Amino acid sequence: MAVLLDVGSQWSHGYELVRLAGVKSGTLYPLLIRLEAQGFLEAEWQAPTESGRPPRHAYRLTASGVQLARANPPEQAATPVSHHGRATI
Amino acid sequence: MSVGLRRGLATLSCRLLQAVLPPSLQSWGWAVRYEAASIQDDTKALLFTLDSLSGLLPRAIAAHLLHPFAEGSITMSLLDTTIRRPRALGVLCAIGAALLGIVYMVIAGAPLRYLGINIGALGIGLSMLGMVGHVATAGCRRADAAIVTMAGALLATALLGAEVNGAARWVNLAGLAVQPSLILLPVLLVAFARTRSASATTGIVIAAAAMALQPDRAMAGMLALCVAILTVTRRDRHTVIAFAAGVVGFAATLMRADTLPAAPYVDQILYSSFDVHTGAGLAVWGGAALMLVPGIVGFSRDPDNRTVYAAFGVAWFAAIVAAALGNYPTPVVGYGGSAIIGYVVSLFALPKLTGGSVPMGGRTEDLADRSPSDLDLFVALA
Repeated sequence: MAVLLDVGSQWSHGYELVRLAGVKSGTLYPLLIRLEAQGFLEAEWQAPTESGRPPRHAYRLTASGVQLARANPPEQAATPVSHHGRATI
Repeated sequence: MSVGLRRGLATLSCRLLQAVLPPSLQSWGWAVRYEAASIQDDTKALLFTLDSLSGLLPRAIAAHLLHPFAEGSITMSLLDTTIRRPRALGVLCAIGAALLGIVYMVIAGAPLRYLGINIGALGIGLSMLGMVGHVATAGCRRADAAIVTMAGALLATALLGAEVNGAARWVNLAGLAVQPSLILLPVLLVAFARTRSASATTGIVIAAAAMALQPDRAMAGMLALCVAILTVTRRDRHTVIAFAAGVVGFAATLMRADTLPAAPYVDQILYSSFDVHTGAGLAVWGGAALMLVPGIVGFSRDPDNRTVYAAFGVAWFAAIVAAALGNYPTPVVGYGGSAIIGYVVSLFALPKLTGGSVPMGGRTEDLADRSPSDLDLFVALA
């Protein structure tokens, strides 16, 4: 949610979130599904930017999602994650 | 691993994910698939899809397990698909009832040959149905001819068939005593429900006479009850004549003593099976109930063909009641291949799809109606 909060009102894509949050897609998608079901996330299909490419599913936090993310900031000390997705010690 | 293979596996994983996801989550399956397609690196795309699959698979399975009968679930789709196909549903019920009958016979210690004969009869019935199953609907004229032919065969059995204790109900075929009435009469009655003509009515009158002559109280009762139901649903001159013939035929069988003793594993098993074992009793009653399912489901879901389903259900209900009341064969669940073949073949007269077929009551014929296979089947039966 912190990653989505950082990008603000901009739309993000699944693979982009996987890389930025350093989580696996198998973790990300169930979270996105739950957040959308609870009204904290909105999703939309975006037309392809290049011809011949498929559309993409994009996500951003709703107003209530933003509130929730701000109320629950990530605990840096508990789950330190580098940009490469490797836990640091 | 080659590039093409990795991309192919990624696509395969996406399709698998889409196949298992419930309808409410299908858009997420597409999201993963299209997102993977946007990843240039094939290895990363493959890892992305495999991770997504492993993360969403438990959720998909849980959704199906928690809502097995929810609208749109695989179970519900299969159930719905089967219910929409009365003939296919009937085949499943026939197989289920025959297998339950075999369970009964195994528990009751019936000879192994009996099991083989019932299984063989099921195979023969299914083969006959399969050979002509692709034909949509029998034409009126051909159905009328088939009804008369089958009635003639029943009359021939009464006059020339093998006689036991004054009853001539059987024909010896390849060392087996076949009861033509159990094979032909249900088909004849369900076919009559789909048509109304002077020749078809003549066929019913001949069949009623044949049942009176054999004599066969169970089959005469089946004919009378079935035509009585048709008289209630469509009170036309032909049906009333057929009903009168059915009543007279049944009355004639009541006036003659039926001295045939009960045959083991064939007659009186609806009650005696519980004396053998509770499981045997449940198998017999469960199988008998299963036989009525196509008629009940079709009647409730296909208003356009209710008469046909009523005829089918009542015909077999009468056979079961007769088996409960007297020394008459317990159809499908008891030993005897004739009833199994008769049940499966009578499914041919049911519509293939609910609400999608044209009843034979109308006089219009299309190309499918003129298929020679219908006549071939009925003549072959006769």
